[in-house]
Amino acid sequence: MSDTAQISARARRALLLAPALIFLAVFFVMPLADNSARSFIGEEGGFTLARYASFLTDRFYLGVIAETVILSAAVTLISVVIAYPVAYVLVRKAGRLSGLIIFLLIAPLLTSIIMRTFGWQVLFARRGLVNQWLVTDLGLLDAPLRWLNTPGLAIAALVHVLVPFAVLSIASVLQGVDRRLEEGALMLGASRFRTFFEVTLPLTMDGIGTGAILVFMIANGSFVTLVLLGGGFQTLPLLIYQQFNTTRDFALASTMSTILLVIALACLWLQLRLVRRQGV
Amino acid sequence: MSLNRRKFLGTGAAAAGLVGLNGLPLRAQTKTLNVTAYGGVWEQAIRDCFVAPFEAKTGAKATVSLGGPAQWLAQVEANPENPPLDVLIMTPDLAVLAAEGDLMDEFTVEKLPNLANIPQAFTDACLGKGTYFDYGVGGITYNKQAVSEPPMSFAAFVDRVSSGEFVASVPSIQYGPTTVFFLWALNNALGGDVNNVDPFFEAMAKMKDNLVFWAGPNDFFNHLASGEADLGIYFDGRTWNHVDEGVDWIDFINPEEGGAMTAVAIQKPKNASDLAWDYLNEVLAPGPQAQFAEILNYGVTNTEVVYSEKLAARVTPLSKANLPPYAEIAKVRNEWVDRWNREIGM
Amino acid sequence: MRLTDWALWLFTIAFFVFMILPIAVVVVISFTSAGYAAFPIPGWSFKWFARIFEYQPFIDSLWVSLELAVVATVASCLLGIPAALYLSRSQSGWATAITTFLLSPLSMPMIVIGFASLFFLSWMGFGISFLALAIVHTVICLPYVIRTVTAVYRAVPPAYEEAAMILGASRFTTFREVTLPLIRPGIAAGCLFSFLTSFDNLPVSYFFGSAQTNTLPVVMLAYMEHQFDPSIAALSTLQLALAVVALVVADRLYGIEKMTVAT
Repeated sequence: MSDTAQISARARRALLLAPALIFLAVFFVMPLADNSARSFIGEEGGFTLARYASFLTDRFYLGVIAETVILSAAVTLISVVIAYPVAYVLVRKAGRLSGLIIFLLIAPLLTSIIMRTFGWQVLFARRGLVNQWLVTDLGLLDAPLRWLNTPGLAIAALVHVLVPFAVLSIASVLQGVDRRLEEGALMLGASRFRTFFEVTLPLTMDGIGTGAILVFMIANGSFVTLVLLGGGFQTLPLLIYQQFNTTRDFALASTMSTILLVIALACLWLQLRLVRRQGV
Repeated sequence: MSLNRRKFLGTGAAAAGLVGLNGLPLRAQTKTLNVTAYGGVWEQAIRDCFVAPFEAKTGAKATVSLGGPAQWLAQVEANPENPPLDVLIMTPDLAVLAAEGDLMDEFTVEKLPNLANIPQAFTDACLGKGTYFDYGVGGITYNKQAVSEPPMSFAAFVDRVSSGEFVASVPSIQYGPTTVFFLWALNNALGGDVNNVDPFFEAMAKMKDNLVFWAGPNDFFNHLASGEADLGIYFDGRTWNHVDEGVDWIDFINPEEGGAMTAVAIQKPKNASDLAWDYLNEVLAPGPQAQFAEILNYGVTNTEVVYSEKLAARVTPLSKANLPPYAEIAKVRNEWVDRWNREIGM
Repeated sequence: MRLTDWALWLFTIAFFVFMILPIAVVVVISFTSAGYAAFPIPGWSFKWFARIFEYQPFIDSLWVSLELAVVATVASCLLGIPAALYLSRSQSGWATAITTFLLSPLSMPMIVIGFASLFFLSWMGFGISFLALAIVHTVICLPYVIRTVTAVYRAVPPAYEEAAMILGASRFTTFREVTLPLIRPGIAAGCLFSFLTSFDNLPVSYFFGSAQTNTLPVVMLAYMEHQFDPSIAALSTLQLALAVVALVVADRLYGIEKMTVAT
């Protein structure tokens, strides 16, 4: 094949990428650039980095940034660990029940997030169902526990919202795994556990990566659950929401969203590198 | 070189060859008026009390956009030349911002004859570019089954919650009006003023072990209904709405110090259709306002309105409520929010 | 069954109890006879379902939401699948960088995307219209399709397609007969995520709401802020019922396992 033919083949393949790239450049990057200009323009006009300087030197805000990342990472870890066995059952064990499982997975996603949170409140209120079971019906406790506004319940609710993304991401890759590879390992005398950890798990790394990325990124930008369930977390999306809802300080909101985007992209890039190295 | 957002953007867009799209007249200019409403009962009341007489008198049509003030104001700010909405329902603090931003038209008796019967203070509170048309009061709502002798004042509320007698549900900082109807009102009752909010934060520190926070009005009701809290800070009209829905265990007290008046403002964006004046005049008319009050359980502002007996017993009279200094609060509000974030949490 | 199988099933059942419990509460409340949303309910009734159909904005906005979710999902597939095919076969560092970029809308708080797009699209002349809303929804849905298709396609050995080409299949035939069936689970998962994300989106739709373009979540929020009656719970139940119908239909037409999990 000649050089020019090779170049044109490559150019033709790049055309596959162009529409998505252009679309996001125009309708995602430009609006955000327009918006982030608010954070770089001072009160009297002119370019300034003052907002970033004061934000990034304030211990309170640095704490908020750390909390945002730690919370997202914790939710991601929990979601992926929970999701893998469920995805495994869905693909390998469920058989005719898989339709039901898929329905049960997407049912929560179809219930408005506000109503889901309401469900949590009903279950875990001071005189709610769970406390009633624990205290009155089972007699396990003397006094009702306080659940609402605790970090644990907020994390549980976030996992509840995000774990279906992890299950379906892992399942869609797991089902593509060539089972002959696993059978081969078994025939060669590997135990089922060893086969799983040395054959199946590495082959599904891309699914785990996808699940982790989706969960992490969505958790990083979400605020509705935390607004409604409390938990004492102080995260960047909550602070950003506050600027729209209460203070209308759009310049500060824009400063924080730029910082959040940079953090998220750095984490995403790291995860992708990790996945690419491990997978395939 | 002075930099502004539009220039910044213009350069990028020109490069992308998109400038040609600018200013396409996508919104058809017809004889319809776009008005706004909160959802549910509110919307129904807006349609029945204001839209219907407006359509009957002018022969024009009105569409009702459901949503909230922050969204509508942003939509007008994004399209100042050709606002997508002709009449805005606003919170008092956003009304001040919109007026200061020179986005709204001046209200005068020439354009709105019924404005003559609205207290001047309400138009002044919107800097002349809008006025209030209905109001509620923030006070103490309690569960009668859990609280037999409710605190009658903000001061008593703070003392008895601090001592652990009750668990109270109070608005969180994520709820827009909190800074005024809770922070300012409580601070005022405890002897502070706009430039000194220490009394509020000291009271919150004392109460902190016995507080839960609500992020939206429904949250508050859930807290009371599910036993998470015994009482809390809420609005009179919403309490009566629950009573009318069949909730028999809830009641409201306007604290002795006077709760904060929480009004609903109405404004007309610049460049909006002039039909808006006819509509606004209906919103300020005594007949439609009386009808509106009856449905919503809130007080209205036209001084000619006579309430029914049932409503007269419920509506907190203007003399027993405090009109918050919104314009002054607007200057310090962001500092209050920042202090709340750091001392109480989000 | 082996012990590990028992453990797996037990875990899965516990997982679904966790997933379903808060939703079951909502479903029960939608059948309450009381005038307000609280649990436990005093009696059973269908009146809140009747209320949904009496309240016109619920019905109007349900249609807007459905149309929007379909348009955004189709647009995301048209833009996203080709990009995913290209990126999955590229090992270079800049492909990772581009993937990072294409997925970045996921991590931006939606409220920022909504607000920024409102000003930008208004300035471009799109105003507050269905088209503007569809564009922004495509921005937030596109990453799901790209990521799920990439993940699945990367597991497909290039040898399959090469074999088809060597056997004389055209580029298009190869794509239709070989590639497409292989990546179908990725497309299905991406479409599902995309549809649900668009359908449940509040923060973006909120900024583009008008009498003509209000989506169901926007109307639900506006309704709930001033009237927290069980009709909102009934709406959620109705959405679940619609999902059951859709899944049963899909099962009859294709077999549901093939949609997401082609065992």
